[in-house]
Amino acid sequence: MFGSFIKKSRAKSPWIMHFDCGSCNGCDIEVLACLTPLYDVERFGIINVGNPKHADVLLVTGTVNHRNKKVLKNIYDQMPEPKAVIAIGACGNTGGIFREAYNVVGGVDKVIPVDVYVPGCPAKPEAIIDGVVAGLAKFAQKVEEA
Amino acid sequence: MSNLLVLLILLPAAAALVCYFVRSMAVRKLTVLATGGILTLSALGLLAQGTFAPIEVGSFLGIGSDFLIAVLDFVLLGVIYFYGYKHKSLLIQGFTLAQVVLLAWFELVMVGHEAVPAMMGDQLSLIMVLVISIIGSLICIFALPYMKEHEEHLHLKKTRQPRFFFFMLIFLGAMNGLVLSNNILWMYFFFEVTTLCSFMLIGHDATEIAAKNAVRALWMNALGGLAFVVGMMLVYTQAGTLNISAILALGSTSAVMLTGLAFLCLAGFTKAAQVPFQSWLLGAMVAPTPVSALLHSSTMVKAGVFVVLRFAPAFAGTFLSTGVAVCGAFTFLACAALGIGQSNGKKILAYSTVANLGLIICCAGINTPLALTAAIILILFHAISKSLLFLCVGTIEQAIGSRDIEDMRGLYGTNPRTALITIIGILTMMLPPFGVLLGKWMAMEASADSNIFIVVMLALGSAMMVVYLARWAGSMMGTSEPGAKAESQPMLTRLPLMALCLGSVVLSVASPWIYNSLLAPWIGSAPFVVGFGSLESAHGTFVVVPLFLVLGLGLLYAVKAASGYRRVKIVPPYVSGANSASGDGTYVGPMNGDVPFSTGNLYLGEMFAEPKLTPIFNALAVALIVLMLGGAL
Amino acid sequence: METLIFVIIGLVAAPLLGGLIAGLDRRLTAWFQSRQGPPIMQAFYDVGKLFGKEKMVVNQWQILCAWVYLIAAAVSVALFFAQGDLLLVFFVQAIGAVFLVMGAMSVKSPFSQVGAQRELIQILAYEPILILVFVGFYMVTGSFSIHAVWAQDTPLLAKMPLLYLALGYALTIKLRKSPFDFSTSHHGHQELVKGVLTEYSGPYLGLIEIAHWYETILVLSLCALFWHTNVAWMALLLVATYMLEILVDNTMARMTWRWMLKRVWLLGMGIAVVNLIWLYAG
Repeated sequence: MFGSFIKKSRAKSPWIMHFDCGSCNGCDIEVLACLTPLYDVERFGIINVGNPKHADVLLVTGTVNHRNKKVLKNIYDQMPEPKAVIAIGACGNTGGIFREAYNVVGGVDKVIPVDVYVPGCPAKPEAIIDGVVAGLAKFAQKVEEA
Repeated sequence: MSNLLVLLILLPAAAALVCYFVRSMAVRKLTVLATGGILTLSALGLLAQGTFAPIEVGSFLGIGSDFLIAVLDFVLLGVIYFYGYKHKSLLIQGFTLAQVVLLAWFELVMVGHEAVPAMMGDQLSLIMVLVISIIGSLICIFALPYMKEHEEHLHLKKTRQPRFFFFMLIFLGAMNGLVLSNNILWMYFFFEVTTLCSFMLIGHDATEIAAKNAVRALWMNALGGLAFVVGMMLVYTQAGTLNISAILALGSTSAVMLTGLAFLCLAGFTKAAQVPFQSWLLGAMVAPTPVSALLHSSTMVKAGVFVVLRFAPAFAGTFLSTGVAVCGAFTFLACAALGIGQSNGKKILAYSTVANLGLIICCAGINTPLALTAAIILILFHAISKSLLFLCVGTIEQAIGSRDIEDMRGLYGTNPRTALITIIGILTMMLPPFGVLLGKWMAMEASADSNIFIVVMLALGSAMMVVYLARWAGSMMGTSEPGAKAESQPMLTRLPLMALCLGSVVLSVASPWIYNSLLAPWIGSAPFVVGFGSLESAHGTFVVVPLFLVLGLGLLYAVKAASGYRRVKIVPPYVSGANSASGDGTYVGPMNGDVPFSTGNLYLGEMFAEPKLTPIFNALAVALIVLMLGGAL
Repeated sequence: METLIFVIIGLVAAPLLGGLIAGLDRRLTAWFQSRQGPPIMQAFYDVGKLFGKEKMVVNQWQILCAWVYLIAAAVSVALFFAQGDLLLVFFVQAIGAVFLVMGAMSVKSPFSQVGAQRELIQILAYEPILILVFVGFYMVTGSFSIHAVWAQDTPLLAKMPLLYLALGYALTIKLRKSPFDFSTSHHGHQELVKGVLTEYSGPYLGLIEIAHWYETILVLSLCALFWHTNVAWMALLLVATYMLEILVDNTMARMTWRWMLKRVWLLGMGIAVVNLIWLYAG
């Protein structure tokens, strides 16, 4: 009985952590907009915790460069299972227009496994919320398989 | 019975002489161990025999004991004067001369020299004897390996241990004599012996700072001795007897009597290092740790509160009583506040000791049955816990070379056993269901019957004590590195530590029975009724044994959960993702260099710095003592 | 026997009620901020999710301290419902608070360490006030025991109004509401990341959350004692107090520990002392 409650709770209480891997801050502003009263993601139980140890979902923006890829990996490792990663914006998905630059790694999935890609430049808050919800579905799926 | 008294008072003196004159390490060790064992057994035997009414002490080697004490008194004052002269201290010389003059007048002119039964043993005395003998023996045993290491550390060519153990053992005998005294002159004599022992032991290392602090201790205690003589004389003028039991039974509250009692309380204040006299105790921390543990936390300073508590029934219900309570509460608050700004482990313990002594004196001043119960509970349990903590700090200091609590961070990683015992000791000092908190709880409940200043001071002081004790305990927690060297300790170090640690816990569980057998008979109108292992009263109930059971089981469960931690995933702490490869709190900083983890406690220097607060507190305390003394008139 | 039943009811109902209150709290806060907010059961979903996470710690002391915090909070609530001694209930609760601080200090993380120091200062601020409130109880009812309260005919609020206000300071600190939420911020208002709770995760964070519910119920029950004569008025008092707390939380910014210490000690203890003087004189 507790097991099914815990499974249900996972989808109802996704705590997010947001990390900027070299983004121009456009996508970051849109992420923060989701937390404002206009879009209000707290209705879904989402809280922005700043600490990977408390987080379930990692939202990553930016192209990821050779310096902050270590930090990204470190944060990902400090998140307890089960966890999901959502890459936001063109830069996070593939590196965007900066893909060919010498310092750019080119996309979050080159460093850590990504579950959901949210395109856009910047991605709209509605798209981000859609992405998080899709991420939750994947979350639940992962948990069922585990 | 008188055999037991001889063993308790005179055997340590004999053993001290053996330690001083026989310069063999093995003999000294054996003497100390044997004395410790015999003292413990004698104390327990005295307890088993129960309380005894005042008894006569006959002649000693053919000389009348009263005469002997009087002669030794003047010899002692002469020795103290000599040291005052040697260290060029006008204060010591002045106070001692005044004592000689007044004492001579008292002995030769005033006193009627009728026979006074000199020894008595009520429950308070018996408890004090237990504390002195058992804890004192454990500390002396601890001192054996400690002093050896201490002298190696100082590279002493010629050992000074004979002198050390001579004074430690003499002190034990003197303390026993003090608490068993029924003749006020005898009490004064033993009081002065402890002053001399304290001076000798503080100055033991013979460094400049040790000498300076020893001199300061001596003049403050000499002032206390002077106050004792004045008080003694005034009380005699009114009571006409040296018999303490008779004085207490007299129930007189004339101005002369109360003033005399006020001066006796002042003597107790100086001995217990109450504000404004706390600087001698703080300075005494330069002495080797067994000295701090024995004299300056569990025993000698308890003599000061013992004097106040012994005479408390005589001034119950007067303004003097309220004055004593206010002074005690103020010391409690002042020293709790001063402790927050300290990072030196021994100074933290010293301030905590003075604060708790202030609390005991406050209880003695409040003078209701509940308050007096609180005072004795605090004396007993504080002695155990505080001596344990001092011994732990001594062990730690010898292990890591520092007594600063910042250097003890994460000590559990390198010295798990000592760190664990220290943490347990700190927790027994401030948390329920242990004895010190039981006493504090009783004290707070009793203070609600007194005036509002005392209530506020106790509330504030109690909160401050939690702060500096909790952060010390927390900082010592750490992780043991796998494959670290096992901690090694000499058996004679480990034994007292474990015994005191176990004692503090077991005796706390047994507190309802201790109350029933020893405290309730002494108080008369006992405030509590023991039921289901709890202390119940209309005032409030402290559920000792049920709490121990529930919290104990809970703790066991928590320990079991924690011991499986290696099956849990271990991760480094969160430092914004920049952890370096070494895995602890080190992070990658500027120029890709490793920045090691460093932290410090908040010492709240703007509010609680020692140099800032001490003058203010000293001034206020002097005012309060003057108020107390004047109020007796 | 009756006491045992009360204790069991208390132990079981307190976390459930505490979780509901936590959910209601977030809902009300959202209403203040013109948004919808999470469902009322959200606190339970949060804790359920936490218990389902992987176990992850920095060292073993964290596990010990999280459990002891929970056990101490639960025992203090049990003792309260057994109508025990108020001062003892407070000291048992203090065990938990001390262990939380110690657990945070055992970790080599700057956020944890600073959070622990601030938590100690918070304890320093509210402990004297709570003790003075208990002395007020003693002055009115003649005992520190809770069952003496039931013998009173008039609500205690009539004789101890200022003490209730002072208790409000302690309640604000205990509930971790602005302006006193600097040791660990509630849900998303980070200054020290999560301060004292930074290094706890998964089930251990869940344990601490449940312990926090117990503590919430404990302080609210203490507030409830102030109007013990009539359940309706008691409920109204509690609702009004909690609404005020949320209002204060949403309108005030987080302050510093110096501000807190000065304000709580001078103002909080000041009004408490005034009320006690009334009680002593009367």
